[in-house]
Amino acid sequence: MNKIFEKGGKLHWLRSTADAFDTFLAVPATVTRKGSHVRDAVDLKRIIIIALIAVIPAAVFGMWNVGYQHSLAVNGPSATPDILANFWYGFLKVLPLYLVAYIVGLVIEFGTAQIRGEEVNEGFLMTGFLVPLIVPVDVPLWMLAVVVAFATIIGKEVFGGTGMNILNPALLTRAFLFFSYPTSMSGSSVWISLGKNEQLVDGFTGATPLALDGAAQYSTSIWSEFLGTIPGSVGETSTLCILLGAVLLIWTGVASWKIMVSSVAGALLVGGIGQIAGITDIPCWEQLLLGGFAFGTVFMATDPVTSAQTETGKWIYGFLIGALCIMVRLFNPGFAEGMMLAILLCNTFAPLIDHVVVTSHIRKKFRKFKTA
Amino acid sequence: MAQNLKDTILNPILKGNPISVLVLGICSSLAVTVQLKGALVMAISVTIVTGLSSLVCSLLRNTIPNRVRIIVQLVIVALMVILVDQILKAGESTYAIDKQLSVYIGLIITNCIVMGRIEAFALGNKPIPSLLDGLANGVGYGLILIIVAFFRELLGSGTLLGFRVLPLSYVPNNLVILPPFALILLGCIIWIHRALDKDLQEK
Amino acid sequence: MNTNSNIYTIIYTTVVVVIVAAVLAFVSMKLGPSQEANVKAESLRQMMAAAGIESTDNLYSSKNAEVLDLYAANISKAYTVGLDGIQNGELSIDRSNIELVSGLKAQNKIIKDNKAGKDNKDNKTATLPVYVFNSGVCVIPVYGAGLWGPVWGYIAIEPDFTTIHGAYFDHESETPGLGAKIKDEEWFREKFAGKVIAFGKEEPFCLAKNAEAEGADNAVDAITGATMTSKGLNTALNVWFNAYESHFEKLAKETEPEEGQAEDTVAEDIVTEYIVVENTVAENTVAKNIVEE
Repeated sequence: MNKIFEKGGKLHWLRSTADAFDTFLAVPATVTRKGSHVRDAVDLKRIIIIALIAVIPAAVFGMWNVGYQHSLAVNGPSATPDILANFWYGFLKVLPLYLVAYIVGLVIEFGTAQIRGEEVNEGFLMTGFLVPLIVPVDVPLWMLAVVVAFATIIGKEVFGGTGMNILNPALLTRAFLFFSYPTSMSGSSVWISLGKNEQLVDGFTGATPLALDGAAQYSTSIWSEFLGTIPGSVGETSTLCILLGAVLLIWTGVASWKIMVSSVAGALLVGGIGQIAGITDIPCWEQLLLGGFAFGTVFMATDPVTSAQTETGKWIYGFLIGALCIMVRLFNPGFAEGMMLAILLCNTFAPLIDHVVVTSHIRKKFRKFKTA
Repeated sequence: MAQNLKDTILNPILKGNPISVLVLGICSSLAVTVQLKGALVMAISVTIVTGLSSLVCSLLRNTIPNRVRIIVQLVIVALMVILVDQILKAGESTYAIDKQLSVYIGLIITNCIVMGRIEAFALGNKPIPSLLDGLANGVGYGLILIIVAFFRELLGSGTLLGFRVLPLSYVPNNLVILPPFALILLGCIIWIHRALDKDLQEK
Repeated sequence: MNTNSNIYTIIYTTVVVVIVAAVLAFVSMKLGPSQEANVKAESLRQMMAAAGIESTDNLYSSKNAEVLDLYAANISKAYTVGLDGIQNGELSIDRSNIELVSGLKAQNKIIKDNKAGKDNKDNKTATLPVYVFNSGVCVIPVYGAGLWGPVWGYIAIEPDFTTIHGAYFDHESETPGLGAKIKDEEWFREKFAGKVIAFGKEEPFCLAKNAEAEGADNAVDAITGATMTSKGLNTALNVWFNAYESHFEKLAKETEPEEGQAEDTVAEDIVTEYIVVENTVAENTVAKNIVEE
């Protein structure tokens, strides 16, 4: 690193920032000198890059879908299916969200690292990439800025930065947005991007299928739910693209397949019970295609920082997320979607789950030891 | 003696603040801080109750049978709380605020600060210092209440004491109105308080 | 003196309790009347706010005595009716002795018991108040359970006995910023003016999500984010409107016997509108499907 940033140098106070750019662009020359350390090609930077690649299909499809839903809303079913134009429209809509999320988040990240005199880490790269995908596309930019700042400070920096946070920061952003400005986060008009003077065509409701199922007046084809050509937040609609990402995450070992599988199992169980008990008309497997379930399970629940760490704990943690999500959908009339609440709740329980798993394991070993 | 009295008054407001240091009386500070007006009335009520009950208990401190002292204290505190509640209900201009505070005036009796100060201070001290200690603790409690309520009303409704401060174009933040945000604000206040006062930092 | 002996303890506690009780009894006696006056003035304010006699702000900034004056000057008669719609009592409207029906909770229970077909043990008959103002507007109360505590309100009805003239709602402990909007937000109250109570239907009024979009004139949109409060208020409105139904139908027939037929057609219109509304929903779904394909 340049001399002026070293201790005693003129710009020493800026060393966190300089260091961040330095290691981001080049491999650092410093190595651990004493004690043992594990040599592995996988570090935080690489994990995040793989995770980013895994989200890209959903993000790209999401941008196209924004344009597609918009043209459906304005022009009706006769809209020309121009793939490029739709994508371009969505891209222009989503780009400002990305700019705002990244600028606000990174300024705070650099600022706190600077204050603490620590290295800047890459945690926010992932958070910032996810945030625009899980909020309504037409959310006012200042609102996004406020909640991103709030979630980053209160949800992450207060606990000590990336790796120390209890709650998933991207999801926390959405939660803050949801509770702070409920009118711009629910209802049927927020999920479709509309220009100022544009009018909805007759008969187009714009509500997400999940919101409408509460009123039981909607039927979408399973195929479009799977492909993702339905209204919703940018990244969550296409189960297909999310599955592609899931395959990459599991193949590279970045995300835990146990959490994903048990989450699906939990959702199927509660969804099945609800179906048998006649609470809902939605078949339990269709619950997996609707709303943010797939996105949350693959990209949010598996966040290595906030999920359970023990292997048994991961099964319990995932199962609880799936079960709670469907429970909220079925039993709480106030919330059409339960994924956000389910994951955040289980985030807070993750340390407890780990604790129980570890102590029960120790007790078991201890008993064995005693009998022997 | 003068130094002592000064400490008695200043300590509960700063270094020994019942909310931000002793973490007592959190429940009511979440519930009544949505609007500044309610918080002000609550702060005054708690100050009066802690002051008067400390005074009365201190006057009676040598006569209270030790075995039933908690019950006797409770009766005295309850008397003060009911008096305050009844007076608020009877006043023409305070009636609306009393309605807004609903059960929380009555719940002052469960506020740990009141009983805590009687047990810890009033039973072992002369009436005048006890009165001051009670009042000062009420003020310390009220101060935090008012800070929290200030931010919650400003950000949550765009008003202060019912008057519009922020322009109408300000979109009220609903999270601020919900009780969890009071907890977040309290956390921030404790954070700032500890950052400023080195004695309070835990090693 | 041994303050720990049993006898001392007993005497001491007795004396303390007696003194405290005496103080409280005295205070309660002294303050009781002004507390009651406050409660009564509050009800009158809400009633007159619903009837549109004065603006809510003015009513709340005026003194109790002024409120009583205003009420006495504007009220024409007040009486109570039973669930059969027949008048069963008079309420004094004299300035010095204004009578109101205060136990709305008890009335609510009688209405509900009656609906459920239960005999109420005390064999109480409902005494539902009707306050008729000089302008011909009738004000009736509604009462029900919100999310955290009771919600209640006053509905002013035009002399045609179906159109709502104005409304005022209050609550004990709904969430500020969400459920509390039923009281705080003037636009919510104003939405009720001009709406129609569809007496004769099982649900004479509809306060629900997106209810206005369906175009019925007896519907008001629920408050976003306050689902449970809105639901509670909706139940309160419907239960009480049902309870008053026979009385207002009787009144409508008495005052305008020749227009009785017209009244029926109005009711029919509402029914047809409802069917149309349902059709629109169906069409929406169809249209949506087309869009999807």
